[in-house]
Amino acid sequence: MKRLFNRKLGKRHEESAEMSLNITAMADIFTVLLVFLLKGFATGSLAISTSATLPEAKAETPQFEALKVEVTETAVTVESQPAVPLASFQFKAGEREGNGSSRTLNAFLKKERARQLTIAKANKDVKVDAKVLIIADQRAPYETIKSVLASAAVNGYTDFKLAVVQRE
Amino acid sequence: MAAVNLGSDNSQEVDLNIAPILDCFVVLITFLLVSASFLSLGVLDAGISAAGKESTQTQPPPVTITVEVLRSQEVVVKLSGQSNQTLRVPASVTKGSDGKDVVTVNREALTAKLGEIHKRWPTVNAATLTASGNVDYKSIVQTMDITRGVIPAVLLGGF
Repeated sequence: MKRLFNRKLGKRHEESAEMSLNITAMADIFTVLLVFLLKGFATGSLAISTSATLPEAKAETPQFEALKVEVTETAVTVESQPAVPLASFQFKAGEREGNGSSRTLNAFLKKERARQLTIAKANKDVKVDAKVLIIADQRAPYETIKSVLASAAVNGYTDFKLAVVQRE
Repeated sequence: MAAVNLGSDNSQEVDLNIAPILDCFVVLITFLLVSASFLSLGVLDAGISAAGKESTQTQPPPVTITVEVLRSQEVVVKLSGQSNQTLRVPASVTKGSDGKDVVTVNREALTAKLGEIHKRWPTVNAATLTASGNVDYKSIVQTMDITRGVIPAVLLGGF
């Protein structure tokens, strides 16, 4: 009896040493999650890298490429390159020109425009685009936004698009 | 003579090793989760109103609509042309989650006012939005959003 008991016990012990982890269910979950994230990654053409808080509005989902100009508390960046430093969303004294545009931002955008024109001249399939996407923090004063828009307009970027968070 | 059993004992059972697939999935999912933006972003079309000119119209509109946002979140709607009027839309005051007063542009009242204007002048399809320099961008966009609900083309003014 004891031998039988031990044999049975031993056998159970032997069985418990081999445990297989069933990861099929985990693979199912990962597949669904991956498909969902890939879909979101593919359709999201507007990737915001700034920490700025965007205002809310009812707007269309963007499906284009444009020159990205970001306005944060400390700087105005053009295509993720810092262009003009700001102090609490304000340009420094003497930065603004007579037409309201920013001197430093004008120089930056002029260079960017010249680059686009060079590319368009070399490649006939590439057209010069007047679109500019303004990604500004909602706390920025209208004065600063006006200066940025004026600078863009002076350098040929006249099709303004304001980035917002979709309002439901 | 030994029997060669080529039956089911020698059938090839291939176990699919999904551990490397899961490794790839884990890396891809981590990358996508880090780079994903769960905010729905949109884009508002904005144009600049230069010297009070409106958007493309073959005939001048009967009235020019100017929507001015004040720092107090009050909105002043000015009509000029065949009708000269100044309409004021007071701000909306609500209680925030912290119990403090939150002052915003009054969406319903402004929509109603602009609706009345548009009903009276249905051919007018553009308005100019202005504000003083110290008004925050959030108020500008909110007002633009409200105005676009009634009048399709909203141009930024004050340049």
